[in-house]
Amino acid sequence: MRFNEKELMSLSRQPSEMAAELGMRGPKKGDVVKKRLVKLVVNFLFYFRTDEEEPIGALLLEQCRVEKEDSQSFSIAFLDEAERKYLFECDSEEQCGEWVDSIIKASYEFMRKNLIFYRTEIHRLTGKDPLEQYGISDETRFQVNNGQQFTTRDTSSL
Amino acid sequence: MKLNERSVAHYATCDSPPDKTGFLFKKGERNTAYHRRWFVLKGNMLFYFEERDSREPIGVIVLEGCTVELCESAEEFAFAVKFDCAKARVYKMAAENQAAMESWVKALSRASFDYMRLVVKELERQLEEIQEAAGGDSVWTGVGGLQGRPKSSRRNQVARSRSGASSSSSSSSSLSSSSSSATPMTGAFPAQKSLQDEAQIISDCPKENGVAWSKPPAALANGFGEGASSCVAWEACADSGNNTVIGYGADGARAPPVPRRRRGASLESPVSPGTGCFSKLHDWYGREVEELRVQWLQSQ
Repeated sequence: MRFNEKELMSLSRQPSEMAAELGMRGPKKGDVVKKRLVKLVVNFLFYFRTDEEEPIGALLLEQCRVEKEDSQSFSIAFLDEAERKYLFECDSEEQCGEWVDSIIKASYEFMRKNLIFYRTEIHRLTGKDPLEQYGISDETRFQVNNGQQFTTRDTSSL
Repeated sequence: MKLNERSVAHYATCDSPPDKTGFLFKKGERNTAYHRRWFVLKGNMLFYFEERDSREPIGVIVLEGCTVELCESAEEFAFAVKFDCAKARVYKMAAENQAAMESWVKALSRASFDYMRLVVKELERQLEEIQEAAGGDSVWTGVGGLQGRPKSSRRNQVARSRSGASSSSSSSSSLSSSSSSATPMTGAFPAQKSLQDEAQIISDCPKENGVAWSKPPAALANGFGEGASSCVAWEACADSGNNTVIGYGADGARAPPVPRRRRGASLESPVSPGTGCFSKLHDWYGREVEELRVQWLQSQ
């Protein structure tokens, strides 16, 4: 699948809220933990060899699951291949918790849900749609019922 | 540079709702003819497929930091997606009619994560203002169901306690170390699930950010509303290691965890004109679209 690599590289150079040197292990059998500079920019997690300018790779953080593996490490797995986990080792429990928290919140879908909640709440409390003044009430991405599937999703697996 | 391509492609075709879909003509890179492709916009990712029913995308354009412009082209209804980095490729596209072109241009120029983040922050701020203005009548009763026990504590200064709770609670996690036994939160909870069960799942479960936001059982609103239908139930779980603030709207809808407050509360966006004022930034986005519209009209 093609992607605009140059632009993604450029994105990796943007200021970031979360960047740190962590131990990182890939999802394949035989992968070992390596020291990487891990950087969170919008909904991408970039990872660099320390002191290198260009990232080795990027992970798009949509449709993924973040879990604590033990007190100081967490994993990221993608829903389409849930057994393949990327492992990250932190320096402290606190740091680990911050990363988990940040990554959960780093998805576009997560933000969309927040937005819908706030929009609905404000409307409920004030009778007004807060997006109307910006002329974006009709944008698909802000709709409550933008195909949200919670009424129809099969939950038998729960 | 590596990318988790398989998962990215999965995101394109999974059942999360797209923001926009449709046919567009895309100018090829080497073969400079325009090819008709099926486009799917999800968040800040613009996928393109050979056919509408293709199972995998041919490619994706990450839209973060892009601008959308009309372009000079023999093609009618043409526009271009441009980036601000050196030697960036310009993606030239053409729609099938004027309405489609305008619609795509609007959608693409607002597709960035940063834009969404700004809108969310603005609404969050507005909601806090409203709640503070409402003062003592703003009832945020405890959901404590996360601990399996209902609590009902009032918190008036919601904004303060919420942000305080977010930052302190983020250091501990309710994520179970027994992740092997955790049930994945893959979808909505059935209405029959009890609050306790649901709370247990939330506490034990690894966090997924692709999860659908579910409606808890209707009984919750009755049990925690403190009698007022306008109440919003909210609990800042600063204790016992919950790292998410989960609340319930009076209609039973569960609020998503509160996004962590940025230090300095700056709305500075790394990839678009810096401005701390949402209105200004929004105007900037809106102006772009307006300018395009004017340009097009003039070119007629």
